Amino acid sequence: MRSLVEEKMLVTFWGTRGSISTPGRTTEKYGGNTPCVTIENQGTRIILDAGTGIRNLGIELVREAESRKQPLALHLFLSHTHWDHIQGLPFFQPAYLKDTKVTIYGSPKKESFLASVLKRQMDYEYFPVSMSALTADIRIQEMSEENIHLGPIMIDWEEQVFHPGGSVRYRFSAHGKKVVYATDVELDLFFGRDNRTEEKEAAAREYLRFIHGVDLLIADGMFSAEEYPGKAGWGHASIPAVIEAAAKAEVKQLAVFHHDPQHSDKNLDELWVKYRSRYLLGPHKMDLFWAREGLTLAI
Amino acid sequence: MSKKDEILKDQNGFDTTEVIPKGKFSAITPLSQRVYLEITGSEEKDGIFELGERAVVIGRSAECDIQLGVQNVSRKHARVLLQNEEYLIEDLESTNGVFVNGIKVVKCVLRNNDQIEIGGVKLVFNEEKRLRKK
Repeated sequence: MRSLVEEKMLVTFWGTRGSISTPGRTTEKYGGNTPCVTIENQGTRIILDAGTGIRNLGIELVREAESRKQPLALHLFLSHTHWDHIQGLPFFQPAYLKDTKVTIYGSPKKESFLASVLKRQMDYEYFPVSMSALTADIRIQEMSEENIHLGPIMIDWEEQVFHPGGSVRYRFSAHGKKVVYATDVELDLFFGRDNRTEEKEAAAREYLRFIHGVDLLIADGMFSAEEYPGKAGWGHASIPAVIEAAAKAEVKQLAVFHHDPQHSDKNLDELWVKYRSRYLLGPHKMDLFWAREGLTLAI
Repeated sequence: MSKKDEILKDQNGFDTTEVIPKGKFSAITPLSQRVYLEITGSEEKDGIFELGERAVVIGRSAECDIQLGVQNVSRKHARVLLQNEEYLIEDLESTNGVFVNGIKVVKCVLRNNDQIEIGGVKLVFNEEKRLRKK
């Protein structure tokens, strides 16, 4: 008989910061590494994005592979290829292990986009080790319209256009539970009341349908309401926009993610205090928190 | 030119950095750290539990390092351990779960002033770092 924990997806945050890593005392609680999250269930291990947080994950995985004497089989899903989501990959230790298998998934939107972008990041001008020196068995797979099945986890996805260059949101379903990873999208542009268009209406409907009733939504909430007007068009959501959309879609638990590099632990604590109580006591009870490094949840 | 002047001027006459004798620093240990759990929500067990390098098990059982005699606490409920120079708490598959700052967690790296809840008992994680004289 499987334990309750085995039936659940384990979600761990390895990097929660947006745009650039922010080491230092003022960010040690929520973390300074750029995006990287893992989802695990019954031996299937999925990695979301390869920001600087993937370095610490890699150290843990190598330690685990050595103690279990089992090669690693990993599935890396990229939301997009902006630096903060891929810059940890050259420092991902399992990629240098010959018997590791890594499949990298990403948007099929641009031909050869994914393979060439990842390879260019490791051009000699930028990094001393070329991608061909990664000895792991690395396969790059641009996704098709078909759902992906990995062990007990089913994955579907949608393109997000309200981010410069676009991004992908993913939904992971297992044992009747759902987790959505939807970072780097400017919700304010299509949920805002100004300049409504059919395209924006459709984008809002699709977004709400995709996240409807999910058990955990990990979503971009980079700017405070006060900061957002000065950052409109940057491709990131304001905190109230993501909270309102999640509440409307009856999301059970919302992890605000992709924290602004300017936000210290104190700032994020204040935002948490400001918004959390409203939704714990409101008509639709939604658990709301700010994602932090080193946190593992069971969904 | 005195001997001291020779030390403080280089060959071009510019000032050089004076070497401070090591003894001036020896009276200070760079950093001391006190890490403890403050138990606040248990009628019988309020108090402070210092954390060290050894893992600490929290639960209702008498075998636990921190025994909480509360019905909602599982026999072996949670463990606090030092890993990679950081303290973390993990749920030992308890019935009622472990909450950190109101979020139900399986595992969580702890930071100063994190509020932990175990079966209704509240614990605060405290990490004090300070310069200390020997």
